[in-house]
Amino acid sequence: MIKREFKVNFKNFIIWLSILLIMFLVVYLIYPYIITDNTMEEMDELMKVFPPEMLKTFNMDMTSISTAYGWFKTEGFMFILLIIGFYSSMLGGNILLKEENDKTIEYLSSLPIKRSKIITNKVLVSITYIIGIVLLFGIFNFISLSISGDLDQKQFILLSVTPLLIGLPLFAINLFISTFMHKTKKTVGIGLGLVFIFYLLNVLSELSTKVEFLKYFSIYTLADVRNVISKVEINPIMICISIVLTVIFIIGTYINYSKKELI
Amino acid sequence: MEKAIIELKHLKKYYGNTRGIEDVSLKIKKGEIYGFIGPNGAGKSTTIRTIMGLINKSSGNIYINGKELELDDIETKRNIGYLPSEMNLYSDMKVKQLFDYHESFYNKNCSKRKKQLVKLLKIDEEKKIEDLSLGNLKKVGIVLSLMHKPEILILDEATSGLDPIMQNIFHDILLEEKEKGTTILYSSHILSEVSSICDKVGFIKDGKIIKEDLIENIKKESYTYLKIKSNEIEKIKKELKLKIYKELDNEVIFINNLNPNELVNKLSKYNIEYLLIEEVPLEDLFINYYK
Repeated sequence: MIKREFKVNFKNFIIWLSILLIMFLVVYLIYPYIITDNTMEEMDELMKVFPPEMLKTFNMDMTSISTAYGWFKTEGFMFILLIIGFYSSMLGGNILLKEENDKTIEYLSSLPIKRSKIITNKVLVSITYIIGIVLLFGIFNFISLSISGDLDQKQFILLSVTPLLIGLPLFAINLFISTFMHKTKKTVGIGLGLVFIFYLLNVLSELSTKVEFLKYFSIYTLADVRNVISKVEINPIMICISIVLTVIFIIGTYINYSKKELI
Repeated sequence: MEKAIIELKHLKKYYGNTRGIEDVSLKIKKGEIYGFIGPNGAGKSTTIRTIMGLINKSSGNIYINGKELELDDIETKRNIGYLPSEMNLYSDMKVKQLFDYHESFYNKNCSKRKKQLVKLLKIDEEKKIEDLSLGNLKKVGIVLSLMHKPEILILDEATSGLDPIMQNIFHDILLEEKEKGTTILYSSHILSEVSSICDKVGFIKDGKIIKEDLIENIKKESYTYLKIKSNEIEKIKKELKLKIYKELDNEVIFINNLNPNELVNKLSKYNIEYLLIEEVPLEDLFINYYK
């Protein structure tokens, strides 16, 4: 069964990985032509116009975008977090529910396989693909940015694995939500909505100290990029929270799915 | 008393306030084919899906081989072959791949039985599931339900989509399975479809079993239609005192339960133009239960 799960979900994995690769490849290829001394001066002038809070949300107050690696740490990283978030959410919302949506669950349930084993197989495949997309994209970035020079290797490695801190809990939350649904149509909307809401809450929390508390309601707080850039370390508390959330929602999935009416 | 292979005791299923099944109790012995008959919405599929663990029962018990069936009892499932009313299979797979996938869940080699069934049902294993017609999908479903040589077969509207020739082949396969000792629960809304192969029939109405008997008793119990055409029809009606099924000018169809001698005696006094006695089709009998 696990072999089939890998095969069925491979196409989506390739599509999402390609989105990331193409987007970043284009940027890396054209970046040297955009960033010249003249454009940098103009960019610096433009940056002065933006309020510091705004620059903070894109980490532009900490790093310069005069190099490709600088862009990767700022705007680029925002895209990475959003796309990994979307991919993980879609995977979580679909992987289990697809059997019900396509009505193949009636056949699957007639086979001698426990419901818990079905979940285990699907979770293992999903986690492998989420780690896979982060890893392969990390290797691609490492090669691309090494060519352009200016790469802090430790900082880069830590940054590259940071999306896992949001990807895995987002997958688990959406997987858990899907055990209350019968059609994937709803989970797609919920998955995309959650990513946007969590991301927005995170951005808002950085705009003003008055709404800083919003960060406690966002999964994106776990991807503490500012800490990775400035201290070159991943906050172990964030790692713990990410793991705990992932485990709690996966356990919830096992419990809820074992009692679920499948038709 | 012979042990029941499938036994349902006061099985009940409600979806919130909506009734699925109210009270279903039945026993099926080893090697028996049990016809589970009822119109659409009577609760046949709900009963079957509850047995298969797709939905949770509200109350009651399900016993397979004397052991109460629990959710996720994979050892019991290993011995069950299930054919749902609608076949929804993995459309991206080829038939051959699906058979291999199916086999991978059972710790046995199913290739010999699979080959026999594929040949009998004339299945093209190279075709993709998404390209199969409804009838061919059903045939694939039949192979899937039988290839692992189950001791119990659960069939829900098994012949829907099959042409009459394939229906006959399928019934022959079921009779062979019965010979081997396979216990079969066969649900259908067409009594005549299952009557030729069933040992016992249970009628379900509004989620309850309303009648259960051996098929031979049900057939015995049946009456005949007596069609008479005569210019003395009014007198005959008074003489016979039988229930009238249909009436048209000088022609009447009676529902007859008189014995032949009595009938001949009573009719001998009258001038009869035309007389026909025929067995009541099982379907009419079936409709009677649901009036």
